[in-house]
Amino acid sequence: MADKSKIGTEFEPFVFEVEKGKIMEFALAISQKEGRDQVDQIYIDSATAKKEGYKDIIPPPTFQTCFALWGGGGLMPMITALNINLGRLLHGEEEYDYLAPIHPGDVITCQTKVKDVYEKEKKNKPGKFMEFTVLETEMKNQKGEVVIKARSTLVER
Amino acid sequence: MAKEIYYNDVNVGDDMPSFTSDPINRTHLVRYAGASGDFNPLHHDNTFVAMFGMERVISHGMLVMGITGRAITDWIPQKHLKSFKVRFSGMTEPCDLNDMDNTSARATLTVTGKVVEKKEEGGDNLVVCEVQTADALGGVKITGTFSAALPKK
Repeated sequence: MADKSKIGTEFEPFVFEVEKGKIMEFALAISQKEGRDQVDQIYIDSATAKKEGYKDIIPPPTFQTCFALWGGGGLMPMITALNINLGRLLHGEEEYDYLAPIHPGDVITCQTKVKDVYEKEKKNKPGKFMEFTVLETEMKNQKGEVVIKARSTLVER
Repeated sequence: MAKEIYYNDVNVGDDMPSFTSDPINRTHLVRYAGASGDFNPLHHDNTFVAMFGMERVISHGMLVMGITGRAITDWIPQKHLKSFKVRFSGMTEPCDLNDMDNTSARATLTVTGKVVEKKEEGGDNLVVCEVQTADALGGVKITGTFSAALPKK
């Protein structure tokens, strides 16, 4: 049975400092490119970003995935604390609300909590259930503005 | 980089321009592992996946979401993007460089999408789109939605 008592559990906040080089590396990776001149220049060049209406370089829309992985020691501490079986774990859903822009030099503090826990009966195996855990992470910059709200749904098969 | 796009010029039912990735190879996975910090060996170590009876490594789902995001921001300037949500529905195996004829289709992803709603909400002119990412064999990897607040002419 889904353990509803996990709902509301908060994890240790983690901090990520946004660097130009990391943004470029991420932009190259999602663009499947090898050179800085081959990707969208709003991720690379401050002057181009400004010309396009941004305050400075911005990261691609899924960049914040590396906040937890590089800034917070990864998902493992959370998975262990939630008693999720890693061998049966799937990433079910990922969702972002973009509330304010992120730029190099920003220091982002992330606070993750368990938003929901529920189960669904397997379609082809009546009586067998899959467990869902929804993690919500609020990401705030050094000015205290929420820049992104992220929700990840983890599925245990 | 996306050109400016106006609320007035977008209609429910419009297709977003489709986008096709390069065939994903293992070097792309290694590059994404380093960039994102996701070093789960499922994505780069064949000896690890062999323990689970898998023939080869699989792509990070978040790389597929990243490629999907790139298709969106090629169409709509990123500053307008308000939300982006995906459901992961299938795994992606990389191509084998020594057998591209038979393996590039499974690793080549095409992102398509459609405008499903236009609404004025909280002072924003919102366009809501459905998006789907699938390989060249028809295997669906991601279904999702995104919304963007567009300027009016």
